[in-house]
Amino acid sequence: MQTKEQNQLFQALIEEHKGILYKVARTYCQDAEDRRDLIQEIMIQVWQSFHRYDDKFKISTWLYRISINVAISFYRKKSIRQGHNMPLNEQILQIKEDEKQDKDLHLNMLDQFISDLNDLDKALILLYLEDKSHSDIADILGITAGHVGTKVGRIKNKLKQRFSQQNTD
Amino acid sequence: MDEIKIKELWQASNDKMEQSLSLIQKNTEDITKMKVQTLLSSMKPIKIFTIVIGLLWVGLGSVILINLFMNAFNQVSLFFLFSASIQVFLTAIALVIYVYQLVLIHQIDISGPILETQEKLTRLKSSTLWVTRFLFLQLPVWTTFYLSEGMFKKENFLLLLIQVSMTLLLTLAAIWLFVNIKYENKDKKWFQLIFNGKEWDPVMKSIKLFKELKAFKGQ
Repeated sequence: MQTKEQNQLFQALIEEHKGILYKVARTYCQDAEDRRDLIQEIMIQVWQSFHRYDDKFKISTWLYRISINVAISFYRKKSIRQGHNMPLNEQILQIKEDEKQDKDLHLNMLDQFISDLNDLDKALILLYLEDKSHSDIADILGITAGHVGTKVGRIKNKLKQRFSQQNTD
Repeated sequence: MDEIKIKELWQASNDKMEQSLSLIQKNTEDITKMKVQTLLSSMKPIKIFTIVIGLLWVGLGSVILINLFMNAFNQVSLFFLFSASIQVFLTAIALVIYVYQLVLIHQIDISGPILETQEKLTRLKSSTLWVTRFLFLQLPVWTTFYLSEGMFKKENFLLLLIQVSMTLLLTLAAIWLFVNIKYENKDKKWFQLIFNGKEWDPVMKSIKLFKELKAFKGQ
């Protein structure tokens, strides 16, 4: 049964962790409109799974899992809100993004590097950039901490190479 | 640029953005009131409908065929008997795949670890390609079920030639499609002709992801 308390908890959770949702959307979508759609879909899936939250996991681990799973599998441009019974009239999140903002050259390079990765490596680089521990990354991805170490090492090298190439150009 | 500076760059750009994110409370409330189905559970009704229809078809077909095999084997055309048996058997295989998909839908937890969840999802979506392969295998039996031994004695040669050619052609096509319908051929023209349409995009994406998952785990 949905209680008022549950609704409030959900809203507080989203408010507190909206950054996670945004960062996952930023990692997987280049376009601002796509990002908003994806964030909306993630929130719907978070609400759907809310009653099944297992407190043996950190709330951030749980949110990263849902957000990344949704970003990889469910996100289909323009098909999301149409597929649900009750369309929302407005965007859930207002993102005051200035599309033409002057991005730092290095930030552009980083965004480009991320967008060139496959979906699984995108998840890995996101968690690495977020300074998550190997044990947290292992929990979110479902691999061993040792395996995380190897994979993070590889992706760090790729990232360094990309930046050093650019600096020598 | 070193590791720490790259992380700082990422954090700084996100911090700026996070401060400008504002939730519209009314719409967050709307989500809690939405009678939405998860995208996976919305797949259930059509799968269940297909399984029910398939079960009726296979069940009824099996009862009739077993009855014919046991009680009227010498009175019925063997062409019909064997063609119908092959058709029912292949439909039963497709049905098993649908049941497998339903089990997967039931098992998938979107808050589960990424690799485990994605593996189940890719298995779910890519298994649709197997259904298509088995359904194509049925092609030749649609050109044989109406034949009778008498036709070979009475029909003229030209008609028989057309009949045999059709059956042979469809048999070869069915086997060829069964073998060749696979992700590796996704860029071929014939493949794109068959799997033309947006409904196939998730299937193709899943098979690609499945390969990436295997590579990710293997490295």
